[in-house]
Amino acid sequence: MEEENQNSKSNRTNCSSSMSDVVLGCVMPYIHDPRDRDAVSLVCRRWYELDALTRKHITIAFCYTTSPDRLRRRFKHLESLKLKGKPRAAMFNLIPEDWGGFVTPWVNEIAESFNCLKSLHFRRMIVTDSDLEVLAKSRGRVLQVFKLDKCSGFSTDGLLHVGRLCRQLRTLFLEESSILEKDGYWLHELALNNTVLETLNLYMTDLNKVRFEDLELIAKNCRNLVSVKISDCEILDLVRFFHTAAALEEFCGGSFNDMPDKYSAVTFPQKLCRLGLTYMGKNEMPIVFPFASLLKKLDLLYALLDTEDHCLLIQKCFNLEVLETRNVIGDRGLEVLASSCRRLKRLRIELGADAQGMEDEEGVVSQRGLIALAQGCLELEYMAVYVSDITNVALEHIGAHLRNLNDFRLVLLDREERITDLPLDNGVRSLLRQCKKLRRFALYLRPGGLTDVGLGYIGQYSINVRWMLLRYVGESDEGLLEFSKGCPSLQKLEMRGCCFTESALARAVMQLTSLRYLWVQGYRASSSNPGRDLSAMVRPFWNIELIPPRKVVVVNQVGEDVVVEQPAHILAYYSLAGPRTDFPNSVVPLDLVGLVAT
Amino acid sequence: MSRASVELDFFGMEKRISANSRFPKFLHRQRSFRDIQSAISKINPQLLKSVIASGSANQQTPENGHQLDSKKSFSVPSTPKEELNPFPPLPVYSPLQRPALENPPQTAPLTIFYNGTVAVFDVPRDKAETILKLAQNGISKFVESTNQKQLLGTLDGDLPIARRKSLQMFLEKRKERLTSVSPYACKSVCRL
Repeated sequence: MEEENQNSKSNRTNCSSSMSDVVLGCVMPYIHDPRDRDAVSLVCRRWYELDALTRKHITIAFCYTTSPDRLRRRFKHLESLKLKGKPRAAMFNLIPEDWGGFVTPWVNEIAESFNCLKSLHFRRMIVTDSDLEVLAKSRGRVLQVFKLDKCSGFSTDGLLHVGRLCRQLRTLFLEESSILEKDGYWLHELALNNTVLETLNLYMTDLNKVRFEDLELIAKNCRNLVSVKISDCEILDLVRFFHTAAALEEFCGGSFNDMPDKYSAVTFPQKLCRLGLTYMGKNEMPIVFPFASLLKKLDLLYALLDTEDHCLLIQKCFNLEVLETRNVIGDRGLEVLASSCRRLKRLRIELGADAQGMEDEEGVVSQRGLIALAQGCLELEYMAVYVSDITNVALEHIGAHLRNLNDFRLVLLDREERITDLPLDNGVRSLLRQCKKLRRFALYLRPGGLTDVGLGYIGQYSINVRWMLLRYVGESDEGLLEFSKGCPSLQKLEMRGCCFTESALARAVMQLTSLRYLWVQGYRASSSNPGRDLSAMVRPFWNIELIPPRKVVVVNQVGEDVVVEQPAHILAYYSLAGPRTDFPNSVVPLDLVGLVAT
Repeated sequence: MSRASVELDFFGMEKRISANSRFPKFLHRQRSFRDIQSAISKINPQLLKSVIASGSANQQTPENGHQLDSKKSFSVPSTPKEELNPFPPLPVYSPLQRPALENPPQTAPLTIFYNGTVAVFDVPRDKAETILKLAQNGISKFVESTNQKQLLGTLDGDLPIARRKSLQMFLEKRKERLTSVSPYACKSVCRL
């Protein structure tokens, strides 16, 4: 031991620590936080190498920031990888489908070199059947966790390889992926070959050809099955499945197509505490009542309940920790939530239908609901709401009571012509000042929602915020420049509908010290030469791309197909891999160096 | 206060319709009054708002066939008066039913007198109330926001709040379920 100590000491020229490699090797595996690991790897060469040998998981927040080759060279023994591709806006139909984020080069490298890889998570990326085949054949035997999260480009043929060859899979996650469904054989293969499955997620995939008999078989063979989320499948067909899956704690999906009284015969597994039943209406709701008090998580995003139904149900769920629903919950529902669910940690209120008659008229959320919520649910950590009206006082209440908030997102709808209390400068300042744990922050407003002063407040008081999404904030370039003097932790910034010029955007980028990723849609482009004024942010390792304006077909409020012209996007990010080489026609790399030279 | 105008070119005097104009060529003189009426009734009140605002902002003298700066204008020949005719203070809404007009039901003519010019539109009740409310509640404030909108270019219309894909899918499926003939039509699809 002494000798070893002496040797390792002499090998280390920069390191002042007297810790031996052996000791370090014992300590290192306990360091998990990526920022700690990052710090460790910067101490000296030896520590860098040790980190590289022992790091178990890597998240590459944007796949074009590096290359498969670089990943292999540094972290050859990686056990778990998460890769993200398309900008977040892709979840809102704002990014061309073929934009990029292809997994193929990564899959090829994984097949070739990453022998220890057990867990793989692709998010918002393009995956082909061939990629799935390569992966299944090379790593199928060891893969335990496989997540295709909001991915596209593949079919059930590709999944067939997964079902057949990935027999050690504990988690198969396909939520919200766009999958071409040819048949349901792939699930049958999975049912035949797997006995260790714990999590199966086909939520919001529209995979309707899967057979409930295969689900029963999986429940029978996989005694550790804990979480199942599927697409539309008649609940009455799942009665036997529910009987067999004794360990089930989470279930989402299904659908109700028969007479309401038939569902009284459905019994759920005893440990079920996370639930979301699609198309559940007021008449079917009572089947949840017997175990409502056990529920920790409730997903009503895809249910057919009105405000009154929400009140009835939520009142019984006093152990609820997570609630996801649409704004039909209304202020009244939020008041019930605030008085009944004191343990609530996460609340997500999404936007329901706009069209007349499709949603409960009472289904609007405003400052009234938010104030009640702030006073009642003191343990809230995550809050995302779409509101029809807002006041500074409501935001001040949130700041005063919800000190545990780490993620806050507010969207002000365009429905009402008049908002009670704009601009929101003071409320925003109060919230940011007091919610010191805030890491993620989104503010989606309308013109007049936040002045330049208010935008400056965001810069000044968002000390720990790493990600921000802003729409219609500020009044002029001055506001943006003031904002960018602050935000010391801001790594990722997304903006829509700004009144800022290209040159202000570029200057702001240069001032934001932690910024590594910028996405903007809707800004004041240079009339003469679009993109030219972005030259202020040209710098080494900083890629700048443009998605030019394009015409898209969207469904408007009345449900008609309308052609809309979508404005240009700017996407800029740090990369060690140089500019992209796999552009589709819809994306244009900005050759600003060329522009500047002319 | 400016001498603004909202004019209609009934006689097709205005030949210089700009290439970018979104209006169909309903200003051709052979067209009947009725056709013009029905065409005008299809005009989005949003457009109308910006016409009124741009009218008060632009301060142009109305002349025969004179094209205002804003593309969204129409002109009618008339004799401009020295005095200004303000909008009627009360939302006097006259439910006159003109016989044999091919109006869709629930719309009625909305007549606007302004600075010696007359404009008649056929709009449904709620849109009429919106227009009148706007006129009452302060054009100046509105002009500011319109100018800001013009500054932002077509941003406002093109950046509506985007909806999450998964929710969009759900809302469309829900509509199908509610509007399908048999509410239990899905049954056959789900079972095999």
